Amino acid sequence: MIWRRLAQASAILLGCLATLATLGAGSAGLPDWSGQWENVGATPDATGGFNQSLAQVLKGMQWSPPNKPEVQARVDQIVAMERKRLEAISRGEDPGGAVRACTFGYPSLMLESPLMFEVLPTPKETTLIFSSREIRHVYTDGRPHTPKDELWATPWGDSIGHWEGQTLVIDTIAVKSPFASSQSEGVAVLAFGDVEGEQTITILSPQAHFVERIRMLDKNHLEDQMTIIDPTNLTSPWHMSRTYQRVAHINRMVYEDCEGEERNPIVSGHFTLAPPPTSAAPMPIAPKNAPSAQSPPPQ
Amino acid sequence: MNRVLNRTLMGIAATLLAASSALAHHSFAMFDQSKTVTLEGTVKDFRWSNPHVFIQLLVKIEGGSEEEWSIEMTSPEHLARVGWKPGTLKPGDKVTLNIHPMRDGIKGGQYLSGTGPDGPLIGSPQPSQGEGK
Repeated sequence: MIWRRLAQASAILLGCLATLATLGAGSAGLPDWSGQWENVGATPDATGGFNQSLAQVLKGMQWSPPNKPEVQARVDQIVAMERKRLEAISRGEDPGGAVRACTFGYPSLMLESPLMFEVLPTPKETTLIFSSREIRHVYTDGRPHTPKDELWATPWGDSIGHWEGQTLVIDTIAVKSPFASSQSEGVAVLAFGDVEGEQTITILSPQAHFVERIRMLDKNHLEDQMTIIDPTNLTSPWHMSRTYQRVAHINRMVYEDCEGEERNPIVSGHFTLAPPPTSAAPMPIAPKNAPSAQSPPPQ
Repeated sequence: MNRVLNRTLMGIAATLLAASSALAHHSFAMFDQSKTVTLEGTVKDFRWSNPHVFIQLLVKIEGGSEEEWSIEMTSPEHLARVGWKPGTLKPGDKVTLNIHPMRDGIKGGQYLSGTGPDGPLIGSPQPSQGEGK
């Protein structure tokens, strides 16, 4: 009896030691990237603007996609359409577009989004959580990409990775545009800055393959060196980099909430204002698709 | 700098290529980008709400009566990152706000910058910098 109990106790002790050893070995050496991070150059201000011009952003990203001629022609066409419509909007002749979603999708999340994010390295997976509530799961347990017969494209792709010292190397495939209306165009890559606004830089094919190398430059900066391999649309691999800085004024994750409430309903073809009820009052709950009536501001 | 242009283009991109943005809830085309109006008034309410924050401002007009303006800012997430808090403005605060007004004459606009009881509001130019944004 006593031997049985001793054996049981030993087994429990060994189990505990093994668990501790696994945790220690798995966690040891992983970098501490805790905190909130934001794209340098896409940092918002109180107006919703940003703190760098498009030219500065593009320079910072070393951004010059080697587009194939036919792709560049299509990009030029899209940019011209964007500019033409911008002019119409600025004259008040076009109500502009509306998106009631926070989805950026990959690679925009890493390249041009004004969102903040957290990076959580663990032994078997590194998770990137964005303030749009989008999540990238990067599996570092040695697995290959999801088998083709189990894989379908998503706005965030299929990511696996491994550590080379303190650098996380990520391999991503199976990316598609987050919007059904643009999926026939492929995956648009955009950049925007404060003066010139947003611009389409290139369009990637569904076969685009992304390799990232994320590392800490110093205690306040992370860097993502990205290479996009897309023989369908690019003449050669496209290398660029992005730097992220620590968010200055907040030390917790706060999420955007784009879908929940409508402040800018369309009335007679034009957006207008629908301020929330007084902040002291509970928010009313209305059906999502209820007709939105603009109440003019109190006189 | 032209803040509206940014957001307008984001709306365009959302339509043409459906590139998304946390800010692109609409195009901001309803604000007249060619005009900047300065409002002096009293904060009736600072509505820290999703997806965008509003300042409800009481502005005195001729005859002594008041009219209420709705000034739209960006999202709570973005404002928090630059230092704004739900209590940054309080009812009764005297403020001066620069806005792009609504095109249709509704008393509302897009927040650009401002001055509060303690000086320039967060992110607004300091007096020596002028109102160059």
